Amino acid sequence: MKASLNWTKEYVNLEGIPVQEIIDKLTMSGLEVEDFVNQQEIYKDFVVGLVTSKEKHPNADKLSLCKVNTGSEELIVVCGAANVASGQKIVFAPVGTIIPLSGMKLGRAKIRGVESFGMICSEAELGLGNDASGIMVIDKKLKEGTPFSKALGFDDVILEIAITPNRPDALSHIGIARDLAAIFNRELKYPELKIDEAKDEAKNYASIEILDTKNCPRYSSRIIRNVTVKESPEWLKSKLTKIGLRPINNIVDVTNFVMNELGQPLHAFNLDQLSGRKIIVKSTKEKMKFTTLDSKDRELPSGTLMICDGEKEVAIAGVMGGENSEVTSETKNILLESAHFNPSHIRKVSKALGLNSDASYRFERTVDPNNTDYAVNRASMLIAEVSGGEILKGLIDVYPEKIKEKEVQLRFARVKKVLGYEIPKESINKILNKLGLKTILQSQDEIRLQVPTYRPDLEREVDLIEEVARIYGYDQIPAVPKITITLEKKYDESVFTDEIREIATGLGLYEILNNPLIDERSASFDGRPIKILNPQSVDMAYLRTSLIPGGLIVAANNINKGEKNLSFFEIGNIFNKISENEINSFEDFIEERRLLFILTGKERKKKWNSTEKVVDFFLLKGLVDSFITKFSLDNVLNDSYYHSGNRNFAYYFTKNLKEKVIGLGGKVSKDVLKQYDIDQDVYCFELYLEELKEIQQRKKFYSLPIKFPKVVRDFAFILDKYITYEELINFIKAEGSNLLNNVKLFDLFENESIGNDKKSMAFSLEYQAKDRTLTEDEVEKEFLHLIKLIEKKFNAKLRGI
Amino acid sequence: MLTKEIQHVKEESEKDFSSVDNPKELEELRIKYLGRNGILVQLFEELKKVPKEDKPAVGKNLNELRNLLTEKYNLLKTDLEKTDDTSEEKIDLTLPGTIRTIGSKHIIIQTLDEIKSIFKGMGFSVFEGPELESDYNNFEALNFPPNHPARDMQDTFFVSEKFLLRTHTSPVQIRVMERFKPPVRAIMPGVCYRNEAINPRSYCVFHQVEGLYIDTDVTFAELKGTLVSFAKQFYMDDLKYRFRPSFFPFTEPSAEMDITCFICKGKGCRICKNTGWIEILGCGMVDPNVFNYVGYDSEKYTGYAFGMGIERTALLKYGIDDIRKFYENDLRFLKQF
Repeated sequence: MKASLNWTKEYVNLEGIPVQEIIDKLTMSGLEVEDFVNQQEIYKDFVVGLVTSKEKHPNADKLSLCKVNTGSEELIVVCGAANVASGQKIVFAPVGTIIPLSGMKLGRAKIRGVESFGMICSEAELGLGNDASGIMVIDKKLKEGTPFSKALGFDDVILEIAITPNRPDALSHIGIARDLAAIFNRELKYPELKIDEAKDEAKNYASIEILDTKNCPRYSSRIIRNVTVKESPEWLKSKLTKIGLRPINNIVDVTNFVMNELGQPLHAFNLDQLSGRKIIVKSTKEKMKFTTLDSKDRELPSGTLMICDGEKEVAIAGVMGGENSEVTSETKNILLESAHFNPSHIRKVSKALGLNSDASYRFERTVDPNNTDYAVNRASMLIAEVSGGEILKGLIDVYPEKIKEKEVQLRFARVKKVLGYEIPKESINKILNKLGLKTILQSQDEIRLQVPTYRPDLEREVDLIEEVARIYGYDQIPAVPKITITLEKKYDESVFTDEIREIATGLGLYEILNNPLIDERSASFDGRPIKILNPQSVDMAYLRTSLIPGGLIVAANNINKGEKNLSFFEIGNIFNKISENEINSFEDFIEERRLLFILTGKERKKKWNSTEKVVDFFLLKGLVDSFITKFSLDNVLNDSYYHSGNRNFAYYFTKNLKEKVIGLGGKVSKDVLKQYDIDQDVYCFELYLEELKEIQQRKKFYSLPIKFPKVVRDFAFILDKYITYEELINFIKAEGSNLLNNVKLFDLFENESIGNDKKSMAFSLEYQAKDRTLTEDEVEKEFLHLIKLIEKKFNAKLRGI
Repeated sequence: MLTKEIQHVKEESEKDFSSVDNPKELEELRIKYLGRNGILVQLFEELKKVPKEDKPAVGKNLNELRNLLTEKYNLLKTDLEKTDDTSEEKIDLTLPGTIRTIGSKHIIIQTLDEIKSIFKGMGFSVFEGPELESDYNNFEALNFPPNHPARDMQDTFFVSEKFLLRTHTSPVQIRVMERFKPPVRAIMPGVCYRNEAINPRSYCVFHQVEGLYIDTDVTFAELKGTLVSFAKQFYMDDLKYRFRPSFFPFTEPSAEMDITCFICKGKGCRICKNTGWIEILGCGMVDPNVFNYVGYDSEKYTGYAFGMGIERTALLKYGIDDIRKFYENDLRFLKQF
């Protein structure tokens, strides 16, 4: 909310307190001053100037040379505005002034060969508006040399205050003044009411009926007759302009003024447009269309609270008035509305319509139900003053059931228990009283207070403790330098992923983090994606079902930037719908954590001492296996290999726990790569961490390394090409005696010389016993036996030993 | 007689070994003294002839000589072989070494780790919770009534009327309190979502760490003490701080913690919007309504909660100019951390 400090000072005397202190204390009491403009400061160098002559610039058609009398001297100024003329009073910025619009210091400058000693300013340059079309011409009566801020009343401090949703009372100048009164221990002064009423009674000119008292507990109104709708006087326009409101006419301006003064939104109806001179407050029974005063057609849902006259709707209650009853320059008689509406209803309507007005903003945060009369009186008084109208006798006030002030008890001991600091009882009392709470009972240990209805946020003891603390000052409460550590069982649910990160980075991978919100096609990668009802864009309309698409996008972006050799990992959650049903419980979807490895380009570039190595399937597989081994799961999991069956991969493999797949990946298919504009091979693998976590073998036991020597034997076979490594290795492991401790494939080749349908595989075998040194003969016997078995089983030919 | 001989051999060998300067000569000396027909073997032959009563003393002398010679030989052998190396062709030692790639954790995760480790040191547990949450856990149980303007503070992505992407890690508070009885002292890191305009200062996805401590005598003063200690460990030891009243539906009293802007040291700059202060977290005493939702006795227990955004923290700490860079995953960015 924008607030003027000068305006605020009309309700609280802040004499002797420096501006900066006011600002700091406001912030430190919960009304955060996000920004402020000290006009006196920024306009300190600007003065009223008189243009004494205007000539054409000798070297430029669009520029003119003006002589400006600044009160103390006459200076030559080059001016580019078309509207500058001799005899005008203008705002003059001498050399050295900082121009608010640009923040730059004005220097002495030669413009097209002529030296200029200052600037004649436009509204925009002064930061007062958007008008940059010409210079700002001011009142002729102002004397040249007068400081600009003084001459035009720009000697205010405009505060931009962030008001939290619990403080509707602070959405007004009086509310801010009330906090200041409490902070600085000063008196709060409400504006005095002086109403001259006409003899005619208001109730004879209009009637008010509330049919929905739940959503409209109170409706107060006044009738003002014979108004002249016109431009507002200078004081009123200036007040509104300063807080960023555009003056409209004297009637609307007064309603805006009072809203910003007291926090009560008001609406002025053209009484003569109200059929039957009636106001009926009721909710719509069905959907309907309605034109609001901004000339927009709105579709209203059924159940919308409306202000109606004898036959039609004239306003959306608490949100915006209708075009059909708007105050125009012809309006003579007005009915002024000052009502209280149910906050949650107003919010619902405002949300449904996507229409957020200054009024609805306040109503949905709660407006004081017991101040509608005061506000309407205050507004009537001002309208009569600025429009010449007469206020009819009496207030029409429908308030079937008074909303009462709450009573809250506060125990002094509880203040200390919550804050950890003892605030003196007198201070507690004084602070709460200054904020408008009445002490109705007081004892040694506690007080009972009546809370004004403008503070709907104060309902419980703890709410009062906060009030006391924030005004007393949070900085008065010490930060204790000692804490006790309770010894309940400690948990760390992030240990598992932490460990994975250590391993993955050790494997040379860089971690990436992706937005789980993604486009529909990417999101459909591995299941039924969940749709966002209110997405920001189609690119982020679904939740991912796999980490792979995000990884591919990252790969594509990096490749485009010239980084073609990539090895990344990501740990993140994926989301999958279980059925087509709408998500109404945690059983309707799965959220689980996955780990992605993604590799592309060269694993190793060519170096002076090594050849290059391009990423391939076996690098990926090896990476996955290294990872699995680190978790001691290499004997628990098994692999399956596929050349078809998954549109996302050219070929792939899975890691399985018995029959259950707990990880899948391989070479990404060309179709998928094309979708992400990638024209190099990409390999990736996704591990399902929830499953992995279940079987993770936490306990590690030491086993003694075998101390007897190994005997190593090699053999190579020529066999049919279609026999897989897996078949062979499983056979060797199964048949190769219990002395065979380790087998490694160390060579593989296919060549015409051995036949087109053949391949050669060479293995290295390690024999070792736990309890003795093996003899050469013993090993030789086992070795030769194995060779025979292989030859027989696979029809293989021994190529060498 | 033999004793004299031993002494003589000792002196002679000393001369011999001291003048040796290549492996060939050393080998000759080995044969001369330690060889199969060398002097030592001959001396041991002589020992047999020594009278019985003198044998132990002479034998001892002879053994000492053998040990001395063996040791000398071994020493010279390693020495001379080492010297041998330098005569090899000199390789260019300035050639680049073979680099091993060590990857890195994402800077957000590193920042999170650092925060986690500070709080774990103060006795906090670590809990996690789901990102797709119920409206109940994310809002209602945290004292955000339906149709309350407080909900506007957190623009929400919905997947249905009752389910949403969590807007903060605070729903994990509810989960933890439903699971355990006090005392509860935990932090809860995780991914959160807000339907906010994407720009250099805000992105629709971010990480948060939530903290919670509930026991019989937890106070606002202790909350301040704990967070000040955290900030000093995490940012800098000599920082200035302030706690500013604020509003969160699930805490009362509520505060925001500011620390002196470490870019301008409090003088005012673009980062701190000329205030000299930087907001680092939100906190407060757990609202009794929240206790009522999870079935804690709000008269008996008090507690505090706090929450901070990790991206924002990392932006400040590492001088990163645009929050979106965290999610671009540019290798040149990732490699810097």
